Amino acid sequence: MTVLPRALPALLVLLGAWQLIVVVASVPPWILPAPVQVVQALLEHRRTLAVDAAVTGGEIVAGLLLGTTLGIASAVLLCVVRSARRWALPLMVISQAVPVFALAPVLTLWFGYGPGAKVAMATLIIYFPVVAASVDGLRYADPGMLDLARTLGAGPRAELWHLRLPAALPSIGSGIRVAASVAPIGAVVGEWTGSSRGLGHAMLQANARLDTDLMFAALACLCAIAVALYVAVDRALDRALYWQADRLHLSSSPELLLR
Amino acid sequence: MSVAAPARAPGLVVEAAGLAFAGRAVLHALSVRIEAGRWHALLGRSGSGKSSLLRVLAGLQPLDSGRVGADDGQALPGRIALMAQDDALLPWLSARDNVALGARLRGEPRAAARGRADTLLDRVGLGERGGALPATLSGGQRQRVALARTLFEDRAVVLMDEPFSRLDAITRHELQALAHRLLARRTVLLVTHDPLEALRLADRVSVLADGAVHDTVRIDGAAPRDTRTATVLAHVDALWAALQRT
Amino acid sequence: MMRSRFLPRAALCLFALAFAGQAHATDDAEPVALTVLLDWFVNPDHAPLIVAEQQGWFEQAGLEVTFVEPADPSLPPKLVAAGRADLAITYQPQLHVQADAGLPLVRIATLVATPLNALVVLADGPIRTIADLDGKRVGYSVGGFEDALLGTMLESHGLTLDAVELINVNFSLSPSLLSGQVDAVIGAFRNFELNQMDIEGRPGRAFFPEEEGVPAYDELIVVAHRDRLAEGPDAAALNAFTGVLERAAAFIVNRPEQAWKVFAASDADGLDNELNRRAWRDTVPRFALRPAALDGARYERFAGFMRARGLIDAPPALDTYARQLPGPPR
Repeated sequence: MTVLPRALPALLVLLGAWQLIVVVASVPPWILPAPVQVVQALLEHRRTLAVDAAVTGGEIVAGLLLGTTLGIASAVLLCVVRSARRWALPLMVISQAVPVFALAPVLTLWFGYGPGAKVAMATLIIYFPVVAASVDGLRYADPGMLDLARTLGAGPRAELWHLRLPAALPSIGSGIRVAASVAPIGAVVGEWTGSSRGLGHAMLQANARLDTDLMFAALACLCAIAVALYVAVDRALDRALYWQADRLHLSSSPELLLR
Repeated sequence: MSVAAPARAPGLVVEAAGLAFAGRAVLHALSVRIEAGRWHALLGRSGSGKSSLLRVLAGLQPLDSGRVGADDGQALPGRIALMAQDDALLPWLSARDNVALGARLRGEPRAAARGRADTLLDRVGLGERGGALPATLSGGQRQRVALARTLFEDRAVVLMDEPFSRLDAITRHELQALAHRLLARRTVLLVTHDPLEALRLADRVSVLADGAVHDTVRIDGAAPRDTRTATVLAHVDALWAALQRT
Repeated sequence: MMRSRFLPRAALCLFALAFAGQAHATDDAEPVALTVLLDWFVNPDHAPLIVAEQQGWFEQAGLEVTFVEPADPSLPPKLVAAGRADLAITYQPQLHVQADAGLPLVRIATLVATPLNALVVLADGPIRTIADLDGKRVGYSVGGFEDALLGTMLESHGLTLDAVELINVNFSLSPSLLSGQVDAVIGAFRNFELNQMDIEGRPGRAFFPEEEGVPAYDELIVVAHRDRLAEGPDAAALNAFTGVLERAAAFIVNRPEQAWKVFAASDADGLDNELNRRAWRDTVPRFALRPAALDGARYERFAGFMRARGLIDAPPALDTYARQLPGPPR
């Protein structure tokens, strides 16, 4: 809850600068509306925007959950099945290299125009960052820890569950943070390709009708969702990684910073 | 006040052990006998093969040639505990849960394991820190937890790979005495680069160089010894000379 | 409307446009440069423009014309309004929305003088009349006024817009109809989608908005920035432009086969195919034979229609967004 008060002054400065630019440079409203107009549009269309926000938000969260789960599972598979690395890794790299834009029409044809295609696209965008981060975390496990596990008589499954995965959590956490910031892109691209509801669709519709202030209002909602999602994920990860001391500032002693 | 030792700790036999990594011989027809129920120190500079021998004995590394085993004819795996230089405490578990790590990994009942862990933490002087995370403990405290974890496993043979080298002199001194007291009547193989530590704690000291044992001396008197006596000092000179020849 | 069969010619040119300067003729020998932003990739709807360019008629009229294909049809008018390009091809319904939003654009010529928009269903499908659309799914691509068109057509058959489920299929009009994901599409161009479906072996049936209660309108028009219409070299260039358009339209109507060859030859790879050939045949009767001529009453009638459907507020004076240019001298 401390993020909002700290962000507020920065936000107000940004809005003030925006209003100033629009007034001073006489920017026409159909190119860049003033913040006041955007707020007006927000209030005027709050009901439809709320429904659209719920739709897009749902797609993003579903994509995040699915992509994260599949990503971690794939990383574990790569870790457990030695031969998997040879054929699975190139596939995963390809999944990352193909621009989502190119796949969007195909996915829409398969999944139809409901939320399925959007969730699929968000999942696709998230998948590789999570896999890469998880594999790194699992791969660079401390050898001393693994030696200890063997002398203690741990089988491979116990070693994976009790040692490798918790040790990999910080790395997986980084991957999930990236995923949270990227998931909205997949959902919106999906909506642009074909949809009846959602913030991406609202933006498209408003743009065609030259309702630029409504377009920006929808964009603002999207930003709010993206930020809220990131903060929530960040908090959740902080809690899950309770043992990690924040050593970003080298001068502080670790004991004092441990939550 | 030691923790009860198992029925009879075996001695260790190493016969003509050979091991090579990437063409380089790490163990070179190494033979040594570790007497049952006693402390044996392996002294040598880095690269002499000490850690490799420990890993072979612990079952973590197979030999290229030769053999290792217990002298009572029974299998060695499962009777060995390893205490390394790095305490390898899991940062996400409390001290208590770290001590009981073996039970957790083997799926044994948690409550009973935690109770035993608390007792052992008490024995190493950390009775009140059971719930602490490793990041809040000092280096010396962490090695005490590692020692408690080793005791938790209750194995007849304990291999120690320079477990106190990272600690300051005072803490090292305390922990050496503590370890010797708690591990009484077990067979202990202590790898160290410090001749004084070897002479203080061990009944036999072998000098290791280039993957083979060059010399083994017997030390009289009960450990932990006072290192200022003439006998010990004479041994020190001999050991330093031997080390410098390697 | 045409889709992915044609190679887009450097849509990146749009970025270059940001740095394109305005055109000024210093004397008669210096040709006036005009950038023309098309509404979509080059297709037979643009025939008069392409034919004129190929025949060198723009050059003869002292104009140096460059065509740019965008990927987003809503962008060209905004770029012209922002002064980043000279002319844009857009749609009359869009023009009314733009005028309402205050864009300083003026229609100076008509390219296609009839609506091309159509409501299309599968010919062998269950939908025989518009009334059959009750409870069905209709696909559309976001243009901003498809629902107004559809709403009017439904109402003339006793239904309302609520009776159908509108699904934005972006530009996949034919695929979504052919794959059965929607039961009908609105926003398909009658000279294209129908031919496309014919070629695929699944012919379509079209309902025409102007037959179902929507006032007739010009599908494709040419717009310029209002400030260019004042007296001076800019205005003269625009007059010359409309003159060339008329010459091209007449040529196409008089010699459709020859004109097709000229059109197809303009881009060896992309344009000469079966779909374009058929679309050509269906589009030729629809080109404005008098491109500069403005039917003011018709424009105002359509403005009234858009206002009644709630797409615009009070329409501004016609003169501010549509003019009939005097044409070239001589």
